[in-house]
Order: sequence, then structure tokens, then C-alpha cells
Amino acid sequence: MKNHRSKIVYLLSLLIAAFVWTPLWAADQKGTLIVALESLGGQSMDPIQEGRPTNAHIQAPVFDSLLGYNYEKGGVGQGVATSWVLSDDGLSWTFHLRKDVKWHNGDLLTAHDVKFSLERTMSKGSLSSRRAQLRRNVTKIEVVDDYTVRIFTKGVQVHFPSGLSRSVFQEGQLMPKKYIEKVGEAEFRKHPIGSGPWKFVRSVPGDLIEYEAVDYPHWRGTPKYKKLLILLVPEESTRVSMVRTGEAAIASISPEAIQEAKAGDLKVMSVPATMQAIFQFWGLYQPQFKDSPLNDVRVREALSLAIDRQQIIDHVMYGQASWPMPFASFGYSVDMDAERWMQWSRHALRYDPGRAKQLLAEAGYANGFELNFANTALPGTPYMTHIGIAVADFWNKIGVKVKLTNYEWGAFRTLNRGDQKKLAGGASMFRTAGRPVAMSRYNVAFGVKSPHRLLGNEEICTGICQSYKKLYAMQVTQQNPVKRTAMTNAVMGLIAESWLAVPILEGMGYWAINPKLVGAFKPIPGRHEFGDVFERIPRPDQKAWQ
Amino acid sequence: MQGYIVRRLLQGVVLLVIVTTIVFAVGRLTGNPVDLLLPEEASEEERQAMIETLGLDGPVLEQFVVFIKGAVQGDLGVSIRYRQPAVDVFFSRLPNTLLLMPAAMLLAVFMAIPLGILSALRRGRLTDRVSGTIAVLGIATPNFWLGILLIYVFSVQLGWLPSSRMGDWSHYVLPTITLGTFLVAGFMRLIRSSMLDILDSEFVKLARIKGVTEMKVVWKHCLRNALIPVLTLWGVFMGGLVTGTIVTETVFAWPGVGRLTYEAVIFRDYPLLQAVVIMDAVLILAINLVVDILYAYVDPRIRFT
Amino acid sequence: MRKLPWVSMFIIGGMVFAAIFAPYLTPYSPIDQSLPDKLLPPFWEAKGSTKYILGTDIFGRDVLTRLLYGARVSLIVTGLSLLFGGGVGLAIGIASGYIGGRLDSLLMRLVDAAFTFPAILFALLLAVTMGQGLDTLVIAIGLLLWAGFARIIRGEVLALKQRDFVALAKVHGCSELRIMVTHILPNVMNTFMVLITLNVGAVIVAEASLSFLGAGIPPPTPSWGLMVAEGRGKISSAWWLSLLPGIAITLVVLTFNLFGDWLRDRLDPKLRQL
Repeated sequence: MKNHRSKIVYLLSLLIAAFVWTPLWAADQKGTLIVALESLGGQSMDPIQEGRPTNAHIQAPVFDSLLGYNYEKGGVGQGVATSWVLSDDGLSWTFHLRKDVKWHNGDLLTAHDVKFSLERTMSKGSLSSRRAQLRRNVTKIEVVDDYTVRIFTKGVQVHFPSGLSRSVFQEGQLMPKKYIEKVGEAEFRKHPIGSGPWKFVRSVPGDLIEYEAVDYPHWRGTPKYKKLLILLVPEESTRVSMVRTGEAAIASISPEAIQEAKAGDLKVMSVPATMQAIFQFWGLYQPQFKDSPLNDVRVREALSLAIDRQQIIDHVMYGQASWPMPFASFGYSVDMDAERWMQWSRHALRYDPGRAKQLLAEAGYANGFELNFANTALPGTPYMTHIGIAVADFWNKIGVKVKLTNYEWGAFRTLNRGDQKKLAGGASMFRTAGRPVAMSRYNVAFGVKSPHRLLGNEEICTGICQSYKKLYAMQVTQQNPVKRTAMTNAVMGLIAESWLAVPILEGMGYWAINPKLVGAFKPIPGRHEFGDVFERIPRPDQKAWQ
Repeated sequence: MQGYIVRRLLQGVVLLVIVTTIVFAVGRLTGNPVDLLLPEEASEEERQAMIETLGLDGPVLEQFVVFIKGAVQGDLGVSIRYRQPAVDVFFSRLPNTLLLMPAAMLLAVFMAIPLGILSALRRGRLTDRVSGTIAVLGIATPNFWLGILLIYVFSVQLGWLPSSRMGDWSHYVLPTITLGTFLVAGFMRLIRSSMLDILDSEFVKLARIKGVTEMKVVWKHCLRNALIPVLTLWGVFMGGLVTGTIVTETVFAWPGVGRLTYEAVIFRDYPLLQAVVIMDAVLILAINLVVDILYAYVDPRIRFT
Repeated sequence: MRKLPWVSMFIIGGMVFAAIFAPYLTPYSPIDQSLPDKLLPPFWEAKGSTKYILGTDIFGRDVLTRLLYGARVSLIVTGLSLLFGGGVGLAIGIASGYIGGRLDSLLMRLVDAAFTFPAILFALLLAVTMGQGLDTLVIAIGLLLWAGFARIIRGEVLALKQRDFVALAKVHGCSELRIMVTHILPNVMNTFMVLITLNVGAVIVAEASLSFLGAGIPPPTPSWGLMVAEGRGKISSAWWLSLLPGIAITLVVLTFNLFGDWLRDRLDPKLRQL
């Protein structure tokens, strides 16, 4: 008798506890958040099948990354790893992990998963764009204990951890070791599980991907919506129409659609510092361009002074862009004296057509000269061609005869290989993506083996090419942050004074938002693709717009 | 009859080979898909690594041989972008387009019939002119613009219809109109001219003398015959329909093969491009064959052309 | 039957006039930009002014000016494409129809292949390989047209082959080439002319669709198709950018079609099925 009653009391108290307890920690989640995007990439939910970091926005809801974001400033912040320390000899990084991260099937996330994920990313079948680099840089991954991982690098890799943050690349995404080993890769691709705030539900090819919020608190932010739908809508005017009719709550747009969105009473949100539109000069070190006007630094500076950047910001970008910092640098860039550089660019990148013409005359080109200008737009930033047209017009106005050629991005991509025949001796539009480590982008442009090779190649490297080589090598292994900052500033100064790769403006990512379907939220600076913001978006009943 | 079918099948195979070779060669001239799968900062080393992973190294001729060997077994390669068999990707989207195209053609036929009949009956008069003008409006408007205007009026401003994507019947209205209207002019012309021919013919005159009502004359005798040229010349319209499908699917976010084709070109996804073109060709040839067989059945003269 | 299609001819004449005399009809340049003047509405709207009668576009360029110069581009593209595609189709149609035999089989297989291969795809592939430009566009549109021309001309030639005057020429010992050029060709010109005028509309609209897909005339050159494509995202905020060139396209295509119909009826009513 007694046992029976105590059993009932026990059960009853469990029930009461469940009723009282559940609302306390179960998330207040309602409704579906519908987002319309221009592209879903290859629509693969396996992190090693996607080469472009910008397409990882469809994977971001499901997978966490080893490092994460600084949500306020942009750039790198805590991820699954809350801290990371460089060893005294500089040859290994130790990462300390959170202890409460769960996979969607209930398993706990441990250091074994981190080791497994990195090795998987570096494996032969991986399409991650930086696979080769990782294989070269990582010598060993050691599981110190369940929540500590130690990664040994080849040589001193000062910025190694940043590469494992989604603010830089997507190679830090974490995949479940036990699950994949149990069900196999093919099954993982059909039914992926991650540790992110959203669970994968289904993917309809060419149409949409559906996610469902986890019902426990998540360190990235607990979703306020029950479901998330990402729709593929390639045509921009249709995306805007969908947000106007309410068929979508948020849509990615270009600056061209900003007015249209506002005309429809939609809110327009600009994500700051997502990219930098630049122009650069190719292959000038080659002997046949010895006497080219572009080889005179005064001419190059004149070309920059001829551009009224504020007018381009106001009119081509409808005011939704910012004054640029030096090449590849942003407010959240590391190892850099932001204040100093902001002041420098305010002056150095000013509009001064009088001085421009003067410089041209001094260099002997008072009557101008012919300039080949390759215009192109990289994926995700179609307005680059408009900026290119505006720049060409400013150059025409100071007497330079610009020959503008439009290249579709795929066609342009093939031009910078080999001897860069079609680009060498001329200028082109380009961009730098909003990433916190500027120096790695510098190396893409200025190293002798780099994709762009703007200063020199393996055979010909003189003058500024040699200076850059020395300065870059010094900062890349410098463990002392103060010294590293000084050296980074030196590299930046060298390139800035050379006028070989010149920023035009700092662009943003743009979103049209239906304020009736979505509450007020702030974007992550530099994170155009929205991948880590979905869980931070409140419902309109929770936080209304001003 | 059998000889005819066999001959047509052989011709079809020859055509497929020509088309395959063309798309294989031209596709590879357009660039390397690797360049579109990598971020802009990718180094030469990374590029090579991805080329190897995707199996794009090796001489073109060798790749062609491998491809043909696979093709005859039904394997058209793996889509570089989607990492799935190209044939699977194609077939996953095909039903969506197959839902849209016939709807558009039906719409066009239903609009063209009254316009064509009216024009033929009232030849040379105002009705003829006006019908002709209305029909031509369909081809005079670029159909991406028509689609966007329709969305703006009926979806955004009036809120009567959804703006895009697949769904219930209401999602079909605007894309069907956008895709179908340009066919109206062509169909109408055909119906009109064959109606005119038939109206002049002996047996219609006989029917009229016999006192059969005008309506019956039109419907029973003329219309059926008037539709035959539409069937036979439909191949001419396919070209425009394919273009229209690419554009319409882009504007209305319709996940069909038209949009897939466009993306395959932009992303240099050779296997997918090849698969789409070949499957398209197979479909077109199959339908052509069926139509021609039916026609040959009806008219023995052409079996020997 | 002096019933000339006055309205059509007037409109076509107007377009040709605008195309030829564009520089004299407007003081503005179609490609120089004036950013502070951007997106002004036509003069009858509140913010508009008579300085820019039909408003300005996103770069501050006068819309009317771009319409006038665009007529020029559209005419050039249309003319060249039709000459190229139509010419090739004409030659192939005549050769195939007259010579017959294996040449005919081979050429008709090619025509079938052309119908089976989505022509727009070819245009896209060309554009991404050769880059956007007038030459690419003309070749691409020409490729869209030639097969249709070839098939119809061939049909005409097959019928002509049986006529007496051809037999007579053969008896006289004329070479095949001579017969094709001096006897067949003039007799298919009627059909050819009708096909040309009826396809003008298709070409103008094809150029617009290709611009929409990013394979048309590259900016900043104005063309009506490009203007419609560029303005399509601004129906609420700047309707004049796409509506005005859109109306121009519709009007001109309509006109050419009506003219073509008249031409066909006038030259040979038996060509009704065109």
C-alpha cells in the first residue's frame, strides 16, 4: 500500500514539475521565418561539399563552427571554442571548448568531433576551398581531453584560428563523428545533423531548404521562430515583390532595389563592411610595360584623385556605402591601427581633379592616354559593374581615354591565369571580401606566387615586390601583437603609397525586410550572408521596429 | 510503316550524336567550373586541388570517350555543382517544367482558336485586324517584362495571386500567361490560314448548300483540320518555348529545367549542361517521332519523303 | 488596291529617322553620366523638368536620348542578325532544296539539330565564351534564325524545281549554280522578304531576353532591350525606365508584323501559312 501511494506521489510531482519546468527553459517559439535568397549554392548540407564560403549560409543554421563572431563589431569571436592559446614556441594552438554543446541526436560535442571534422575537411574527397592550405599548415591534431584540442602547425601560424571562424572561411564547421561513422557519408548527406540552433528538415532541389528550431537554449541564440525556410528566388524584383506581399519576411537585395523596397514600405537593412570595391592594375612589372603611363606612380595617384567617391556612394549606391579604409581593411580588421588609417584614407582618397590633372601633366600626359579597363561583377555584388562605369566616366573627365570591356564573372576568372595577357598593362574592377585578417588578402594580391601577382612573379620581382616580400615575411610569424601591428601597418603603408590596388568604397549587404513579419534586429558587421543571424531575429510581437 | 519508324529512329540517333558532340565541345570552351566554385582569393594550388578532386584533369578527348561510354549506359556524369548524378538532378526538376509547358500551350491554343476563327470568318475586316493585333501583342512584349508586370499588378498591388514559386492552382496562373502569350500569335496565324483554306474547300461549300448551320460548319469540319498544322509545326515553336521557359522560371522562381539550364551555363557545370541538352533532345525527338508517326498514319504520302 | 499601310510605314519611318538622326535630335550623350540628376521622372510628374523630357536613368542619362540612340542599336542588331541568319538560311535552303540528294539530307539533319538544340543556350554559351558585344549578339541571334529560314525556303524551292522555266534552263545547259542564282533566287525573294519583316519583331524581343539573361548588348551602350532589362526592378519607384522602352518595343514589333502581313498579302497571298 505505502509503495503504491508513494509511487503516485512521485509520478504526480514529476508531472507537476514538467508543467512548471518546461515553460521555464523551453523556448518561446512560434511561426515560420521565411527568407528569400538569390542562390543556395550547390544546395549541399555537407560542409565538405561546398567550396565557396558565401554559400555556407545554408549550412550555418545547422552547423556550429570552432570559432564564431564578435556580434557587435564583426570579425572573429567565440565559437564552440571559448578561448584559444598559442604555445610558447608558436607551433601549436590549444582550443578550449564549451561543455554544454549537443548534437541534434542528443550526443555531446567533444574534442573528438573537432579532430574528426578538421580531418574530414582536409580529406581527399573534400571540396573545401582551403583544403590544400590546411593540409600544408596542419601537422597534427591532438585530443588533450574531452574539451581541449591542440593543433600543431607547420611553422608559426599567427592567424591560424581565424581561418576556423565563419567570419573568414567555412572550414571550421563541426560535424558529428559518431553519427557519421555509424550511418556513413551518404546517409549523413541525406539526413545531416549538426550542433547548431536549427535542425535540418528537408531540402527541395532548386526551391527551398527547411529547418526547425531546437527546443533547448542554444549558445548562439535560441531561435524565436519554430521554423526557418530559405527560398531560392533568383530574380531580384520577384524577391522584393515577395516581401511586399508577405510571402517572405526578408530578402537579399542589391542597392538598385533599395528605393523600390522603400516604395513598398519595407525596411532596408544594410550590413556594414561586407566588401570593398577596388580597382587594380595588372602585370605592370612585365618588361613590355616599362614605358607605360601606368608605371608612373603619379599617374596612378591621379587616377585615384579623379574619382569622386562620395558621389558614387551617394548616387550609385544610394547612400548605402561607406568611405573605404586602405586595401582589404575594415573597422574590425586585426593588427591594425584603425583610427590612423581612417584618417589617412579620408585625405588620400579624396576627390581632387585639379591635382589629378596636375599630376598627369607632371608625368607628361597632359593630353591623357589610353587605358584598358576590365569591368566585372563578382557573385553577390552585381553593382560592381555600375561602380566600374562610374569610375570610367570620372577618368574620361580628366582626359584619360578609357576602353571599357565588360566580362561576365566566369569569363573574367580565366583571365588572371598564366601571363594574364588580356589584363596586363591595364586596370580592372575587383573586390575584397569583409574578413578580419587583412594580410592574407594582401598575399592573394601581392605575393609572387599569388593568384593576382600584381607586384611581380617568380621570375621578375624587383623594387616594391622585394620590399613587400620582406615585410610580409616578417609579420606573418610575429607572435608579439605590438610588433605584428607595426609590421602590418608597414605593409599597408607600402601598398597604399604604391596606388596599385586602390579602394573605391566600402560596400554593404542589403536586405529588404517586412516589418510586420519580423522584429527589429541588428546585423553582424561583415556578415552579408545572414547565416548566423537567423537565431538572433525576434518576432514582431517581441520587438517592434522604431 | 515499320521501315519508316526505323529510319526515323536512326536519324534520331544521328542527331543525338551531333548534339552531344556540339554541347561537349562548346561547353568546355566556355571556361572551367572550378573558377566558379572557388572564392576569389583561391590560389593556383587550391585550384589544382579542386580540379583533381572533380576529375577535370586529363585530355579532353579522353574525357569525351569516358563520357560516351557512360552515356550509352544512361550515366551522364556527376553534376559539378550539385555533386549528384546529372540525370538525377535533371529528372528532379523535369516534372515542374512539364507542369508548366503544356499549361502554357493549352492556354495559347484556347486563346488562339477564337481569334483565329474570327479572323478567318471576317477576313479583311476590322475584326480580322484587331484579332491579329491582339495576337501579336503576345510576341511584341518581352516575356520577362510581361511576367514582372503581371506580378506587380496582380500580386503586389491587387494581392489576388501569389507572386512566385510552385504551389496550388493559383501559383500557375501568372507563369502560364507569361509563357503562353507569345505562342498565341503563331497559333492564331496557323489556324486562320488553314481555316481559310478549308472554308474555300468543296466539301464545306457542299455542307453550306445542304443547309448545315454556320456554327456546325465551323466546328465540325473546319476546326479539327485547322489544328493539324499547329501540331506539325510545333517544332518551330519549341525554340521559343525553351527560351520562354528559362526566362519564366527565373522570374517566377519555378524550380524547373529551364532555370537549371541557365545555371549550368553560368556555372560551367559541363555534366549538367550535357545532361540537360541531351535529355531535352531525346524528349523533343521522341515527341517529334510520335507526331510524325501519327501524321504518317493519317497521310500515307509523306511516308516516302 | 493602292491601300498602303500608311500607319505602319509612318512608324517604321519614324524609327529609322530617329536612328539615323539621333545625334541631331538631342543635345545629350547617351552614355555620359550625370549622377546628381539621376532618376528624375518625366516632365509631367512633380519632380520632373523639361530639361529631361522623359526623365533620367540611374546614371543621370536622359531617357529620351537613350531611346533615340537605342533605336539605332536595335536597328543595327536586327539588320545584321537578319542578314546573317536569314542569308545563311536562304543559301542553305536554296542549295538543299535544289541540289537535293545527300547534300539535302545532311543539311536537313543540321536543321533538325538546330531545332533540337535550344538556340538560346547557344546564345548564352557564345556570350560567356566570347564576351558580350555586338558581334556575339549578331552571331547568337543569327543562329536562332537560320534554321527556320532554311526550312521554309527549302519548301519553296522544292515546289519551284518542278516549274517549266527551270527545266528550260537545264535544257539550255545552265550550270546548277547559275540556275540557283539567276532563276531560283529571285523567285524566293518574296518569301524571303516576308520572312525578314515578320522576324524583325522576334529579333528585337530576343535581344531583350538575352539582355535580361546577361548575354545581350553590354552596358553602357543603350538598347531598348537592355533598358527594359535594367529598369525592370523599379516598377514602383521609377516606372519610366522600363515602361517607355517597353512600349517602344511593343509598338515597333507590332508595326513590323502588320507591315509584314500586308507585304505577304500583297506579294503572294498563297504564302498565308507564314
